[in-house]
Amino acid sequence: MKRYFAVLLGVLTAIGGFVDIGDLVTNAQVGARFGWSLVWVVVVGVVGICVFAEMSGRIAAVSHRATFDLVRERLGPRMGFLNLVGSMLVTFLTFIAEIGGVALALQLVSSVHHVLLVPFVAAAVWIVLWRARFSSIENVLGLLGLSLIGFAVALWQLGPDWGDLVAQLSPAEKPGAESWLTYAYFGVALFGAAMTPYEVFFFSSGGVEERWTHKDIGVMRANVFIGFPLGGLLSIAIAGCAAVVFLPQGITVETLGQVGLPVGVALGKIGLAVVVLGFFAATFGAACETGLSVGYSLAQYAGFQWGKYVRVRDAAAFHVVLLVATVLAAGVLLTGVDPIMVTEISVVFSAIALPLTYFPILVVANDPDYVGEHRNGRLANVLGVAYLVIIVLASLAAIPLLVITSMGQG
Amino acid sequence: MTYDAALHLLDRQIVDEEGRLLAKVDDVELRVDPDGSIRPSGLLVGMPAVLPRLGRRVGHRLTRLHVELRPAAEDRGRPLVVDIDRIASLTSEVRLSGDGRGSLRRLSADRAAAGDRWRLGELLGTPAAGPGLHRKSVVLDVRISGRPGESGEHRVAALVVGPGRSGALLGYDRTSDLGPALIAAVVRWMHRHARVVELGPEVEIDCAAGRVRIGAGASFLPLRG
Repeated sequence: MKRYFAVLLGVLTAIGGFVDIGDLVTNAQVGARFGWSLVWVVVVGVVGICVFAEMSGRIAAVSHRATFDLVRERLGPRMGFLNLVGSMLVTFLTFIAEIGGVALALQLVSSVHHVLLVPFVAAAVWIVLWRARFSSIENVLGLLGLSLIGFAVALWQLGPDWGDLVAQLSPAEKPGAESWLTYAYFGVALFGAAMTPYEVFFFSSGGVEERWTHKDIGVMRANVFIGFPLGGLLSIAIAGCAAVVFLPQGITVETLGQVGLPVGVALGKIGLAVVVLGFFAATFGAACETGLSVGYSLAQYAGFQWGKYVRVRDAAAFHVVLLVATVLAAGVLLTGVDPIMVTEISVVFSAIALPLTYFPILVVANDPDYVGEHRNGRLANVLGVAYLVIIVLASLAAIPLLVITSMGQG
Repeated sequence: MTYDAALHLLDRQIVDEEGRLLAKVDDVELRVDPDGSIRPSGLLVGMPAVLPRLGRRVGHRLTRLHVELRPAAEDRGRPLVVDIDRIASLTSEVRLSGDGRGSLRRLSADRAAAGDRWRLGELLGTPAAGPGLHRKSVVLDVRISGRPGESGEHRVAALVVGPGRSGALLGYDRTSDLGPALIAAVVRWMHRHARVVELGPEVEIDCAAGRVRIGAGASFLPLRG
């Protein structure tokens, strides 16, 4: 019984934990401009994050090594360092975006400008990182994040012409006003939002935090293979809501309020309140995850004690990194930079940084020195190599597309 | 039983009996015995150990910068060390016996300057020349017999030499069934000139001068054991 409960809890938190500010904003923007014609990218991204997370979760369970341990062991200190800098910058950018997202969610409730809320949000995030237990962070915020199911309910209540919506699934249904280049740019952004690297840093480090062993591989797989795809369905519902409400009017999404607006239209105040709670939980949870990931990455590269499974004083350096990262992120947001813009940048750079950590994980997941009998089977390797190609292509295409389309405006 | 020092020991996490995360293996100290055999003698930890490994020129500059940040400290250029016989086991982590607190000591000045002590990081990337070897060959890895934490003889048994960068073999030289097949094929093709050379009278390692000379009579082993 306890085991089933653990699986259920894991799956539910994986659903809530999958969606973060990047998914919220990018899916709504894409839905408003391209309808459902980019849904296939979400599907590709979700399968990709399942492949990636399953491999790193399996390695963490069997060998107790998290992502950046492996990056340094396989790539050496020099390549590993460049990798660390790149990945940490992207994770830090995501951290800024998540804290900004929490502030924006609170602004929707309080009408207080988000910049004024940033210091309080940052302080709250830091206190949670410092004091709260790892499992409470994951479970409470993951479960509250489930209120984003409001988007699926809203889509159903909006009563769209389902035949029309399903017909939009073909890439050929790209709205004529948009060029193929912007289509490709948003495809890469959506891919980066679904496959954000921090999700894997956090997932594998979390496995070490929770002291997984090879016996937990089954539960881990259930979380990944059920939770992430259901989270992906939420992403598609967000895009669907925007496609129904905004696409016919030609309105583009530029604020977090607009992301939730279709729910208000469909379900009224109560529905809106529920998804705003979902915004808060999803971004706050992701802020904790990205903050921890910054500390995990650096500590795993350098070798000092990390983790919430030991007392704070035993991982003092790790907690100093968390504090410094939180203060810096708040500082960036206090300059008045638009969190939505930071989000847009962070998802694209996520796509750029992905191959850095994906490749070493793919190699180690095959290495019996680390995973013994639990190494990749044929299916995992076929998918693993296919995704290596996809990830490298997306990464290479990202910068040229970013420049040519001026971040999707063209 | 052999292991490859760069692949299996270098950069791994050092933990103690209780599972405390202590440090990374930033470099490995090798000792040359009077009879010429080379044995691993210590794990080196800290900036003075890892910075030189960031590349010949950059590493040198960063190491000097690290010393100059606090010129008054006499021991600034020397890493911390833990002796090799403190290792209880080597798996995906290097587990030390006993409590790890206070187990890292500063390397003494005499030991740091001793001519019979080498660093693995210096040996890796050293040009290797000899008949039958690719002209751009360097030392890619160092194959050591025995297993840390286990009894028996521990000494450098062979060198993996070939063109390329140390670590880029990614373990694909060790076993033939390491997947994915496509990556294995690409890595093996890139390292098609790599060879395993058994240490013997025909192999002359001059770490100070930075060169390895391999005579015609040296014994070459197949890459995949």
